[in-house]
Amino acid sequence: MVCSWGGYTFIINLIPMHVLLCIVTGRFSSRLYIAYAPLVVLGTLLAALVPVVGFNAVMTSEHFASFLVFIIIHVVAFVYYIKGILSPKMFKVAVTLVVSVGLAVCCAVIAVLIALVASSPTKGWSGRSLSLLDPTYASKYIPIIASVSEHQPPTWPSYFMDINVLAFLVPAGIIACFLPLSDASSFVVLYIATSVYFSGVMVRLMLVLAPAACITSGIALSQAFDVFTGSIKFQLTGASSNTEVDAAETSSSTAESQTDAVKTEKPEETAKNRPSRKSKKKEREHGEKPSTEAKAEKKRLLALPLESSVISLLLLVLLGAFYVVHCVWAAAEAYSAPSIVLTSRSHDGLHVFDDFREAYAWLRHNTDVDDKVASWWDYGYQTTAMANRTVIVDNNTWNNTHIATVGTAMSSPERAAWEIFHSLDVKYVLVVFGGLVGYPSDDINKFLWMVRIGGGVFPHIKEPDYLRDGQYRIDSQATPTMLNCLMYKLSYYRFVETDGKGFDRVRQTEIGKKYFKLTHFEEAFTTHHWMVRIYKLKPPKNRIRGKTKKSKSKTSSTTSSPKRSGTKKKNPWQ
Amino acid sequence: MEARIRARVNLALTFFALLFFVAGSSPPRQFVISNAERRIDLSSHIINVHLTLKVENAGTRSASEVVLALTPTEVDHLAMVDASAIKGKRKKTTSVRLEVKPTELPDAPPIDTKYFTIYLANPLNSGESTTLEVLYVFTHFLEPFPAEIAQSESQLVFYHDTALILSPYHIKQQTTFIKTPSTKVESFIRMEPTNRVGTEIKYGPYEDRPPYSISPIHVHFENNSPFAVVEELVQEIEISHWGNIQVTEHYKLIHAGARHKGVFSRVDYQSRQSSNGASSFRYLLARLPPRVHSVYYRDEIGNISSSHLRTDSLKSELQIEPRYPLFGGWKATFVIGYGLPLQDFLFESSDDKRYLNFTFGCPLIGMVVDKLTIKVVLPEGSTDPSPVVPFPVEHHLEAKYSSLDVVGRTVVVLEKKNFVPMHNSHFQVYYSFKPIFMLAEPLMLASAFFMLFVACVAYIHIDLSIRK
Repeated sequence: MVCSWGGYTFIINLIPMHVLLCIVTGRFSSRLYIAYAPLVVLGTLLAALVPVVGFNAVMTSEHFASFLVFIIIHVVAFVYYIKGILSPKMFKVAVTLVVSVGLAVCCAVIAVLIALVASSPTKGWSGRSLSLLDPTYASKYIPIIASVSEHQPPTWPSYFMDINVLAFLVPAGIIACFLPLSDASSFVVLYIATSVYFSGVMVRLMLVLAPAACITSGIALSQAFDVFTGSIKFQLTGASSNTEVDAAETSSSTAESQTDAVKTEKPEETAKNRPSRKSKKKEREHGEKPSTEAKAEKKRLLALPLESSVISLLLLVLLGAFYVVHCVWAAAEAYSAPSIVLTSRSHDGLHVFDDFREAYAWLRHNTDVDDKVASWWDYGYQTTAMANRTVIVDNNTWNNTHIATVGTAMSSPERAAWEIFHSLDVKYVLVVFGGLVGYPSDDINKFLWMVRIGGGVFPHIKEPDYLRDGQYRIDSQATPTMLNCLMYKLSYYRFVETDGKGFDRVRQTEIGKKYFKLTHFEEAFTTHHWMVRIYKLKPPKNRIRGKTKKSKSKTSSTTSSPKRSGTKKKNPWQ
Repeated sequence: MEARIRARVNLALTFFALLFFVAGSSPPRQFVISNAERRIDLSSHIINVHLTLKVENAGTRSASEVVLALTPTEVDHLAMVDASAIKGKRKKTTSVRLEVKPTELPDAPPIDTKYFTIYLANPLNSGESTTLEVLYVFTHFLEPFPAEIAQSESQLVFYHDTALILSPYHIKQQTTFIKTPSTKVESFIRMEPTNRVGTEIKYGPYEDRPPYSISPIHVHFENNSPFAVVEELVQEIEISHWGNIQVTEHYKLIHAGARHKGVFSRVDYQSRQSSNGASSFRYLLARLPPRVHSVYYRDEIGNISSSHLRTDSLKSELQIEPRYPLFGGWKATFVIGYGLPLQDFLFESSDDKRYLNFTFGCPLIGMVVDKLTIKVVLPEGSTDPSPVVPFPVEHHLEAKYSSLDVVGRTVVVLEKKNFVPMHNSHFQVYYSFKPIFMLAEPLMLASAFFMLFVACVAYIHIDLSIRK
């Protein structure tokens, strides 16, 4: 669990919560103790073996809940033990004594703990977990977490897309759990309640919701089937037994009902196998009479009428069948499409956009083995795996400063960006550009996040510089900072030559600055649909003494010298 | 460049100097070439030199060994040499292939010259003459100059040769024709009489040249044909007696022409295709055997979606497109794999052996293969394999373990360097195989499952409890 995903913190907080709930509601038992105590000890030890976690397993606040409950469960177990030994009177005395002393000790310990936790900058909680507790936390303080589309709150349609009918079955399942509330069902209730909350905070935590929703709706379905089949059984056996009892009263009615019973049994069997229309009709016809007969008993046993239970059984089966169809469809269409190979259906068949792999294969075969590639971190793992080249930042977003450096470079003018990249020993810069074919999740659309993340660490990058009246635009109304930044230039370099106007199909506008040249970068490779563009850093120019002094000292010495010092200040790696 | 020319001049001087020592004393000197015609085809990066020699025995004894001479650089780039004798007159000519072997002439004057001997079918009596046709194929012989070109430039190459045919014999009359791919010839060295018409440059005729006379020339011309070279091709042919031959080919492709320099601009490449990237190539055509099935084309990072397969009853053509167009110096690797029906390629020979009859070569058309390795994976249990290849190759045996193999499969590995399409021919691998081995793996599986079930049955029926 710990090996696979950071989401294990959810489980190691959920289990203590359940244990605490059991203790508070007086459900403490030795079974609970045996289950929980070894889990904490062994689980923590095993988690600490995972390199990424290590001592975090005992250092961060995310793990404190389990330890706290670990202490509580021991205290409770001890209390129960004492209770068993001492007589009730002695026990009362002991309780008062222990409570008075214990309170004092507890207060001291809690004070120390709070002081410790408060002294750490994030109060011991990592940003990801904090953004779970406070959904607005990330967008306020950590743009790198907020920038990931997986971390956005989900919309209602995405719930229906992902869990479909389960959304309606879950409440029923929760009710079913409460009918006899046991240790197990209380865990399920806790599980579903927390996971619904978390999935509401982040889309990706839909993963946590899915099994919980499956469990509860499974409970709901099984309860429903239980009720329906039970009532059918009751109706059939009940009807026949009724007729036997009432046989003396009216012989004619018994004959009717007996034939009814026989008749209803037959179509019932067939209905189970294949629900045909004929059998349904027959049931409706024959179901009425016995239902009127055994009304009194039904009300007592909370049984449903036969026909309605049969129909709802069928409907439930139908619902399940549709759900399966939906799942298969969703798995095929939504979940199986690799985001690296894009396809589009047009009138002349399937069109494949394999630009990402084209670019990665090019990097793999036509660059030096130790060349470094800079790109936005989204493409880090892909580049490492597919192009087999070292990247500057990748999807492991632990080093925020590093990502901010690349963000700063992308949002700086060419010269400053070149200096940052050069100091990072970067040879190639990779940008993703969807403007030619209309691929919306390209770097221009992600660019504001680069500005925000970069600006978070290097304050000279200011988001308002890139916005015109609070709007993000790349057309002729865009700000000069925007039109001169590296990302704009690398994306739109010579783009105007494709159609003569430079019409961006993603932003649905013509670009602002159409004709420009690159001085510090050169185009190394552009894929077939222009989706990936790779640029090479030009080597620094040789200083020719006589020439540069003459030309520069006259024309631009006054302007260039403050600029240079400015860029040096900006560049954090020099 | 200069150094090379100087070396050639030096070489020529030594030739002439040494000539006096040995003139008349060596045995091959008894032939005289009365007429020599050489046609050099430079239209692709594989150079074909057709040499037609009319050999006359001027000596007193009959002889059957004609010696060809080549410079060391030529020998380094020589992919194949082939000789045949022409019989009949004018229209009714038939050619008979002759054996050619590299030889060392101990008393030959120029130390660096390499020799090939043609063994005539019938010894040539004194005074008789015969016509020989020799084909040389050279690879990597055109030198791109400039060595680096930008995207919009076309590729210019140098071809170095001598206007006079290097030969240990006296040549009475000789002519050389050089065919260039286009009329764009930057420069060429003249040696009168020299004549250039269209795409052809004619040197000669030159009369009465003594042995080992050379005259270095070069031609600098445009050649935009794709210089596609497979640096390494590993072809694995796996035979399954259950009815299938699985072929897997691993390619390491490189554009061996003038290196691409500076910018690659997609907008130029897409909008001005005629003038841009003239020497680059996008498509490759592979000719596969007929009735090919389950063809795939992929590389390390997955399937490459740009390929087309056309099949008919005589051949299958697979048109593939590497992930990106290849410019000078760019590389690409990919894998092509396909299955073939067993009965088309595996036969039983008379001596109760089986043999595989397969094409020795690279299915991609017009490719030079620097190193071709063919691995024939025989089924498990086959013994004494022996390959039969029409030209000399290195071969050794390996063992390969695939699933459920116990002793391993015998793999016959054939290696050939500097392979050109002219080499394409059939080769055979003979081996003996008992059909009972086909059942080894199914029987093994069946018995394993049987043992498992027996163990289960035994476990259920045995009572291991201590107390009763």
